Amino acid sequence: MKLSREAYQALEDIVGQDNISDDPALLDSYRYPLSHTAIHLGPYYKVYTPRSEAVLLPGSTEEVQTIVKVCNKYKIKFKASSTFWSAMGYPSHDGAIQLDMRRMDRILEIDEKNMFAVIEPYVIGAVLQAEAMKVGLNTHIIGAGSSCSPLASATSFAGAGPAGAYMGGHGENMLGAEWVMPNGEILRTGALGSRCGWFSGEGPGPSVRSIIRGGLGTQGGMGVFTRIALKLFPWPGPATMPTEGRPPAYRAILPKNFKSYTVAFPTWQAYSDASYKIWDAEIGYIAHRQFNMFGRDLKWAMVKILTDPTKTLSDLEDLMKDKEIVKTTETMKRDFQLILAGMTQRDIEWQEKALDEILAETKGWKVEAMLDPEIEEWSLMYMIRLGHKNLNLVYGGGYDGCYGWQGPPDYGIQFMDEGTELKKQWEKKGNIVNAGGDCTMGGIGVLGGGGATVWENFAHFDPYSKESTEGCLEFFNATSAWAVKNGWGTGMEKQNDSARWTDGMATPKEIRDKLLLSSAQPSAFRYQRKIKELFDPNDLGDTYYRTLDEPGK
Amino acid sequence: MALEDFRPDMERCSQCSYCKFVPLDQIKSRRFSKGCPSIAYNNFNAYSARGRFAVALSLINKESEYTEKVQDIVFKCCLCGSCDVADKICRYNLEPLQMMHELRTRLVEDGQLLPQHMAIIDNLRKEDNMMMEKKANRGDWAEGLDVKLITKEPAEVLFHAGCRYSYDKALWPTVRNAVTIMKNAGVNIGIMGNDESCCGARAYYMGYHGEFVKFAENAIEMWKAAGVKTVVTSCADGYHAFTRLYPRLGAHFEVLHTVQYIERLINQGKLKLTKTVPIRVTYHDPCHLGRQGEPYIPWEGKEKKIFNQVVVYEPRKPRYNGAWGVYETPRNILKSIPGLELVEMERIKEYAWCCGAGGGVKEAYPDFSNWTATERIEEAKSTGAEAIVSACGWCERNFLDAISTAGDKMQVFDIVDLVKQAMQPARRKG
Repeated sequence: MKLSREAYQALEDIVGQDNISDDPALLDSYRYPLSHTAIHLGPYYKVYTPRSEAVLLPGSTEEVQTIVKVCNKYKIKFKASSTFWSAMGYPSHDGAIQLDMRRMDRILEIDEKNMFAVIEPYVIGAVLQAEAMKVGLNTHIIGAGSSCSPLASATSFAGAGPAGAYMGGHGENMLGAEWVMPNGEILRTGALGSRCGWFSGEGPGPSVRSIIRGGLGTQGGMGVFTRIALKLFPWPGPATMPTEGRPPAYRAILPKNFKSYTVAFPTWQAYSDASYKIWDAEIGYIAHRQFNMFGRDLKWAMVKILTDPTKTLSDLEDLMKDKEIVKTTETMKRDFQLILAGMTQRDIEWQEKALDEILAETKGWKVEAMLDPEIEEWSLMYMIRLGHKNLNLVYGGGYDGCYGWQGPPDYGIQFMDEGTELKKQWEKKGNIVNAGGDCTMGGIGVLGGGGATVWENFAHFDPYSKESTEGCLEFFNATSAWAVKNGWGTGMEKQNDSARWTDGMATPKEIRDKLLLSSAQPSAFRYQRKIKELFDPNDLGDTYYRTLDEPGK
Repeated sequence: MALEDFRPDMERCSQCSYCKFVPLDQIKSRRFSKGCPSIAYNNFNAYSARGRFAVALSLINKESEYTEKVQDIVFKCCLCGSCDVADKICRYNLEPLQMMHELRTRLVEDGQLLPQHMAIIDNLRKEDNMMMEKKANRGDWAEGLDVKLITKEPAEVLFHAGCRYSYDKALWPTVRNAVTIMKNAGVNIGIMGNDESCCGARAYYMGYHGEFVKFAENAIEMWKAAGVKTVVTSCADGYHAFTRLYPRLGAHFEVLHTVQYIERLINQGKLKLTKTVPIRVTYHDPCHLGRQGEPYIPWEGKEKKIFNQVVVYEPRKPRYNGAWGVYETPRNILKSIPGLELVEMERIKEYAWCCGAGGGVKEAYPDFSNWTATERIEEAKSTGAEAIVSACGWCERNFLDAISTAGDKMQVFDIVDLVKQAMQPARRKG
């Protein structure tokens, strides 16, 4: 449906001429290629999300509210996004408009005493972290990296990340929220709704956590969140990140109460046991299997490249011929990164002792090569700021995570070797990077206090190559079939099938219903249908907010 | 390379938005977290590197057509290269800056011209300069300097003043000081006077590739004829042209920026900075001396894949990501001036914020250019500095204009001017 001139004018009157455009080329800078990455759907070669009818840059909650009211008047679908990570930030219907939230980028408050920040949508993780550090606080950075909006992940996705065990995911960390609901009304949640401030998301005042979050958040399908309060956490480091080095090999020169280790284990069971013990001992600031995303075989060579500003991927082949590199790689087969941050000198000493004891009990070890001072500094920088997360894409330009085993540590390890072998078979075919089968990465504790791990096996491919892209898709079809056979349901690689389909548009209802009905708890989506009917009576959101009709409807 | 050669980059761009910020590891505050002036001012995605990849792809796929907005998107960019640095933190295989040069060139070839640029290029063709001035006045800046004209008598070192310094009278002291300092240090230096022409770089930045080649080839020929071995310039644009663009056309001269030559003289003991200059300054890295001032490495090759789908190049392709720009030399000089205190801004070196004068922006979009400079002045002020120091006439002019517009008190210096202040007056012989 084309946007009428009358509707366009009504929208322009809200944001002003400079903050709206329907220029076709400009609109094409708001389309996402499905031949790409992190879409958990595809990849589909040369398929793009649809061109919207207009892009708007609202500058305030009031403008957002008025835009949404106009959308209700003219029945225009809308999609708001902040930092546009992955296809979920883009419209999935023709005739929709795109809201780009980048003009709303203020940190409205950092409450040092009560340890929270009030932020707008386009505050990115790195910015919030930098400001929080000035007052001895830190923010959780989500797995997608510090270029992403914490507000987006707190309201509209899981918000998991490497510091989850210490800081919790953003799904847990959101306090009050200001929500422009799909009908254009504003709801202020928790204590904020009772004019008591931002300190609690659950009251006194309306708690809508279960309404707006569901399992993975609204994913932009239910109105627009214009500001939230987010918990912050202690930062026992300097007020400014002490970054040194030449790009891209930046390093953080932190005081001695910070330690970065790569710990490795003789068996997956030992790995799992260590995870439990780390949670029980309550040590660790950040714990994540990170660098294995480059692949079990290639990761140490990649660390050598990434820590040396003179090296590029062209050095990879030669490095892999170096016997010392291969030998070191073998010592870090089953590994993860662990950052310790002592609140005091005694604290770091105690954490070190506890870690040594855990390693002794599990027969694990600290990977010696990663203790090189410059590599440790690089690792601290990487893990704390998460400013290099798009190295996910460094190989060929495309990646996506598959499997996605989420649960206690013992859960994922059961499938690790079989999953690795399956991936190796597909690596042999040549369409994804030959990295050793195991490119599994994920959090050692994606919930506050521990409690769950995530294992995501990265498949690296080239989105510019039809063979590679389609070969990767075939691999994902195979992993899903394997997962279904094992009784887990489809894996992470097909997570978004029920929202966006292979043509880049919303998944057709018939297919969507079938997929949602086959899920473990379809009644959750029937519940969400009721919510949607009440909150979005004109159906202006998209299918990322999953709903299922009552049986027989 | 043609625009179409960047299709793989366009399709491999993951739209992560790193290009909008300084490298994330370098963010120290919200206020100074942004890296790209174009997206910071214009806000729509299309005004970022990721957006320009998408716009270029849309154009070459014929999914959209040229419009005034497309012109605005393509030309309202300083081509400062901030995106290129931030991008290559994670994406070793993408070249957004090179692609944007090609996109501009394509628009110019297709007749999508900005009137403001056309007027300047017309004058360039007639008068050999980018300043809308007469060629006959080009050498006026050096009047009374008693310096060799290299076209008449040989000299080891050619000092190239460049268009901005040649015609901007307020900046004449900088180039006059540069020549004087070198001459007094015993350097056999010469200039070309009225025979000097534009280096062509700014025409290249505006998308007029043919004009650039014409001026570059002419300069190379003249320098060869004059027996020039070393070229020194105070202009960062000129430095970039001579180090990075001219070698593509077969030039093989030693090229030094004035600050590099001055540091050489200091290290050789031929220049002593002994006089106290009591001032607190901050240093602005010019884009073309800093992140775009890396040495040129010839490369011609093709893409190949290893480990199935890892994209590399054969032979090994140089990576330009600002790691090896000229950063320490100007700082070393400033630190060697007695009484001078150097304080750093948040965005420095490879992730410095642009002055806003580059890429034809000052000429075509003065408001955007002025805003960009004002942002930098604000950052300079946040350090408590009394003056912002740079090593490029274009930067200095844009700062002066922004300060004048805002009625600010910040002073602007070229390093050379401070060096001159720090020198004891030369003793008269006899």
